[in-house]
Amino acid sequence: MGSYLRPRTIEEAVAQLAAGPRILLAGGTDYYPARVGRPLDDDILDITAIPDLTGITDVGDHWRIGALTRWSDLGRADLPPAFDGLKAAARQVGGAQVQNAGTICGNVCNASPAADGMPNLLVLDASVELSAAGSVRTLPVGEFVTGNRATERRADELVTALLIPKVPDGARGSFLKLGTRQYLVISIAMVAVLLVPAADGSVAEARVAVGACSPVAQRLPALEAALRGCVLDAGLADIPDPSHMAPLNPIDDVRATAAYRLDAALTLLRRALREQGGGAA
Amino acid sequence: MSVTVSMTVNGKAVTGEVEPRTLLVQFLRDHLGLTGTHVGCDTSQCGACVVHIDGESVKSCTALAVQAEGTEVNTIEGLAKDGVLHPMQEAFRENHGLQCGFCTPGMVMSAIELVRGRPDISEKEIREGLEGNICRCTGYHNIVKSIKAGAAAMKG
Ligand SMILES: Cc1cc2nc3c(=O)[nH]c(=O)nc-3n(C[C@H](O)[C@H](O)[C@H](O)COP(=O)(O)OP(=O)(O)OC[C@H]3O[C@@H](n4cnc5c(N)ncnc54)[C@H](O)[C@@H]3O)c2cc1C
Ligand code: FES
Ligand code: FES
Repeated sequence: MGSYLRPRTIEEAVAQLAAGPRILLAGGTDYYPARVGRPLDDDILDITAIPDLTGITDVGDHWRIGALTRWSDLGRADLPPAFDGLKAAARQVGGAQVQNAGTICGNVCNASPAADGMPNLLVLDASVELSAAGSVRTLPVGEFVTGNRATERRADELVTALLIPKVPDGARGSFLKLGTRQYLVISIAMVAVLLVPAADGSVAEARVAVGACSPVAQRLPALEAALRGCVLDAGLADIPDPSHMAPLNPIDDVRATAAYRLDAALTLLRRALREQGGGAA
Repeated sequence: MSVTVSMTVNGKAVTGEVEPRTLLVQFLRDHLGLTGTHVGCDTSQCGACVVHIDGESVKSCTALAVQAEGTEVNTIEGLAKDGVLHPMQEAFRENHGLQCGFCTPGMVMSAIELVRGRPDISEKEIREGLEGNICRCTGYHNIVKSIKAGAAAMKG
């Protein structure tokens, strides 16, 4: 029989983690369904009563998204258009009740290849803030998540926030996902695109990421390079081609074949780019 | 080891001794005898267990009782006042929004949060807003109709 702790401060929480490993519990929307038919007998550290983990704050050169920020908080937050993709993801995750409980940090820490938060955080260049007793370190999300259900978090660490560097003015993000139905399914493919416009109407910077097509969502550097300097209009949809998909490594499973996933990702990318370029998606 | 948990349920202060990993739905059903909140799955998908915590709809199978410490919880049993059904309950009855009724408590609780401040909510918005609630009987048509009527009756 395990024990249950519910600290009120970050200091208390990391001290408890230093004493021995525990399952961290936030919104519980990944935790409970993963324990179907089993009693809840883990040693739990419930972080939901720590006020310092809540809130989205502007800290000068970056945004800080506290570890207890739920999808519904994010969906309602007043954030620049660079966050539109992340907000779109927030409004599509698992229905209203899951959005009222589930946290974006939990989504990252759970490290599912199909986590909707990941491609969006990758294009936002987000980092994860990890706190332990007496130390704090940050890691880019792409380095933090190392594989299917695997992260760099040490057993004595708590993720305390996601940090997102400020993005140039005019930058806009978008997100598209494909599943067999719109909600309550694990996505077959998902794409996040963030474009920064230049004064002359071209693309100053492009960031593109694909999820559910590799153990960890991936940026597509070759496609990003190909988009840079192009005129920012619906013609951007013609740029992606299969060679850009090299970083991906999709699986065949009950939901889709690898070939179908790649094709779906390419189609979603074209749609997202057409739509960002001002055309109909 | 058990802990004491206190909250307000349907307007009444309640206190209980629970094993700390007791789910909120177990507390409501087994400790308080409020069996109107149903359990239809063990994967947080069906929505039969939806209750309000401080006015927000939440799946009570996916929260611990201790996480609701100090909050205001409302369940389906708390909706009718002095024997008069809540407008959303009345709308489900009038519009045949249920068949077996298993999903209904969760549907009604989700619907009330969904339509708050939106008396003219569209069919599309209702269908999207119900993604976390599954019904095996009705085909949803009359549920959507009920919620539209309930929204108008609640006048926001
Ligand atoms: C019906 C349903 C539909 C869903 N739909 C989607 C969907 O469409 N897209 C999607 O991506 N996901 C979906 N999910 C999965 C889930 O809701 C999300 O991944 C959610 O964001 C997880 O957050 P949480 O706070 O509930 O995590 P929890 O379940 O509390 O935790 C998840 C994992 O992260 C760890 N963890 C949590 N917080 C921290 C922290 N601060 N530091 C270190 N470790 C931590 C926990 O130990 C656990 O291993 C769905 C789930 C359900 C039940
Ligand atoms: S019992 Fe099915 S979602 Fe809670
Ligand atoms: S009325 Fe039977 S499950 Fe909905």
